[in-house]
Amino acid sequence: MNIKRMTVLALLTSLALIIFVVELQMPPIAPIPGMKIGFANIVTVYAVYKFNARECALLLLSRILLGCLLAGNMISLIYSLSGGALCLAGMLLLHKVIDKKHMWVCSILGAVLHNIGQTVAALALMQTAAVLSYFPFLTAVGCVAGLFTGICAQLVVDRIDLSD
Amino acid sequence: MIRSQKFWIAVCAVIFAVSVIACVIILTRPHGSKVIIKQDGRVVMTLDLDRESDRTVEFVYEGRKNVLEIKNGGVRMLSADCPDHVCVHTGWLRSGIPIVCLPNKLTVEFADSEEDAVAR
Repeated sequence: MNIKRMTVLALLTSLALIIFVVELQMPPIAPIPGMKIGFANIVTVYAVYKFNARECALLLLSRILLGCLLAGNMISLIYSLSGGALCLAGMLLLHKVIDKKHMWVCSILGAVLHNIGQTVAALALMQTAAVLSYFPFLTAVGCVAGLFTGICAQLVVDRIDLSD
Repeated sequence: MIRSQKFWIAVCAVIFAVSVIACVIILTRPHGSKVIIKQDGRVVMTLDLDRESDRTVEFVYEGRKNVLEIKNGGVRMLSADCPDHVCVHTGWLRSGIPIVCLPNKLTVEFADSEEDAVAR
């Protein structure tokens, strides 16, 4: 990886972190743990269509680690990591079959995969099926949130070209 | 892999529709008065809301504390010393949506909303 690409990735990471910190200040949508729009994922969806798998993974990993440090909430690290890993893996596969005009579809499916990852982590940690009751609420909001972040990423993907 | 864009759009639509239906089912599911409180995968307390007297109960997990309030046949998390306070914001336990404190691994839910329903 050359210096230019590394700098661009660092720039995108800080952009995602700024969005993440701004979102921290917003009131929660509903009293359901883990439910949020995830505006920072606009950057992730953008990166999936612009960068290779390794670079996307680096970007997401540093964003999650630094984000949890900034939020002062290290417990959420496990949920963010498992959700983020599944979401990124899914989107990296899906972007091969879903074209740039349908980035929002990729984003929605990524959001749902993120919810699956979160819920599996919650099941493993809490060891109670009670957390499953939250799952439909997470996916319903996840679909809308994924649609929004996907459309945002789709709007900027052709306008901002950082990948060369 | 399926390359049709319409297929993936349909998948999204189905996921969304199924989630919304499941949400409605969970919100309208009938429940009894028995409440189960679990911490770290173990049942630490069961309540029958019709018979409980008004009081508060404390749960301590790794030095962190949750205070549960039982009042007028209802139950809610009164306070918690976790960073997010999601469980406190959930308010009174009303429907199939459990009160969950992720950091302290505490859940409060109606008994007939999960395993017992399967057992019957």
